[in-house]
Amino acid sequence: MVTTSDTESIQVEITPSRYLMPATAQRLLNEIFGNGGIIRITIHGPNLPRSVPYGPGRGAPIAENRDLLIEVAGQAFELCVKVGRIRLELENETFLPGLKAACERALPFTFQMKRGKFFHTRQTITDYAKYGKVEDTRILGLIDPRAKKDRMAVLSEVQVTIDDKEER
Amino acid sequence: MAYTPQFYPGSTSVGINRRKHMSGNLEKLRDIPEADVVAIMGHRAPGADYSSTHPPLKEMGEPDCPIRQIVTPTAGAAAGDRVRYSQWTDSMYFAPAIPYWRSYWGAINCKGCDPGTLSGRQIIEARERDIEAYTKAQYDSEMTDVALCSMRGCTVHGHSLRLEENGMQFDMLSRTEMGADGNVYGIKDQVGIPLDRKINLGKPMSEAEAKKRTTIFRADGVPMCGKVGARKYDEAVDALHHMWELRSKWGFRPE
Repeated sequence: MVTTSDTESIQVEITPSRYLMPATAQRLLNEIFGNGGIIRITIHGPNLPRSVPYGPGRGAPIAENRDLLIEVAGQAFELCVKVGRIRLELENETFLPGLKAACERALPFTFQMKRGKFFHTRQTITDYAKYGKVEDTRILGLIDPRAKKDRMAVLSEVQVTIDDKEER
Repeated sequence: MAYTPQFYPGSTSVGINRRKHMSGNLEKLRDIPEADVVAIMGHRAPGADYSSTHPPLKEMGEPDCPIRQIVTPTAGAAAGDRVRYSQWTDSMYFAPAIPYWRSYWGAINCKGCDPGTLSGRQIIEARERDIEAYTKAQYDSEMTDVALCSMRGCTVHGHSLRLEENGMQFDMLSRTEMGADGNVYGIKDQVGIPLDRKINLGKPMSEAEAKKRTTIFRADGVPMCGKVGARKYDEAVDALHHMWELRSKWGFRPE
């Protein structure tokens, strides 16, 4: 019989049945934060470019995708994706029921919650090519391997880093 | 007895809808002004002249050809219009049309058009004034739900993604938006260039209405086999098996 420890960290993926508007995403993230026990968290979804990336309208601005500011746990940041999936690591299993209740409070529709392994633990070649040797391994799995390096936004308790100079 | 084409087998609601799409016997749900359709297509400004690739056929002096005498040219071909396109993306979440059925509709009912079917989008090319009429017919009929279907010349992804909170199909370029009054508004043309005014496309279908009018078989809607637990599969599956058999067994003839 395999016994699992309830003191080990667990990874969870939350998939709402609809894509979230910024206000709902903010409410959900704040509820999740209020539940506590988060080691790391990432939001995932389709890209929201600031201008038309290709085609005859290339370069035309997309005003709807600009200034999508949300404030989570007192830190404001700009959304670059339509929030469709949230992956997070919790300190231990005791935070799981609270997380489910937080999602139920914040989301007006159904959602799926899965436990599994969603962050990789070893550096990939892409990670190495882009960032060199990653000292803080918590960052592994939080980085979109296809995103440009200057597009990365990392929020931590210390500071907010948003490198997004260019309009695309 | 006069022959009536059957188009598609099956007695499920999806089978019936597919027959309706192919026959062109569609219900008209809305009336979007022609100028608005032209603006969303984005090929010419509403009211502007049509650009042409050749002089009108009457002025050209056509060669003596029996086929040309039999076939009446379309309005666009007679005037020598350029070939233009309109491209549609239909959500997998019970959109009324799907690429294949837009193509069947075009190929069967629209003269002088070239439908192209892709996994997530469907394009029809035709002479400009013809494609404008065909696009308006698609917009006005039950083939289109303004929330689940949209005209997208580029960045078409969204058909296989979850819907947005307000029930709209996801669009990276935000070409349409849900207004506070519950109507869907077109704010950009099909390639994402902002329009000078908002175009009211009307109210979207309810979820139940979309499921009623859809041509998509889905396990959580109407499955292709028909009623779950029925003693016999729906005719659509029988016909599909029959076609598969003909293609697989007798299509292969090494000689």
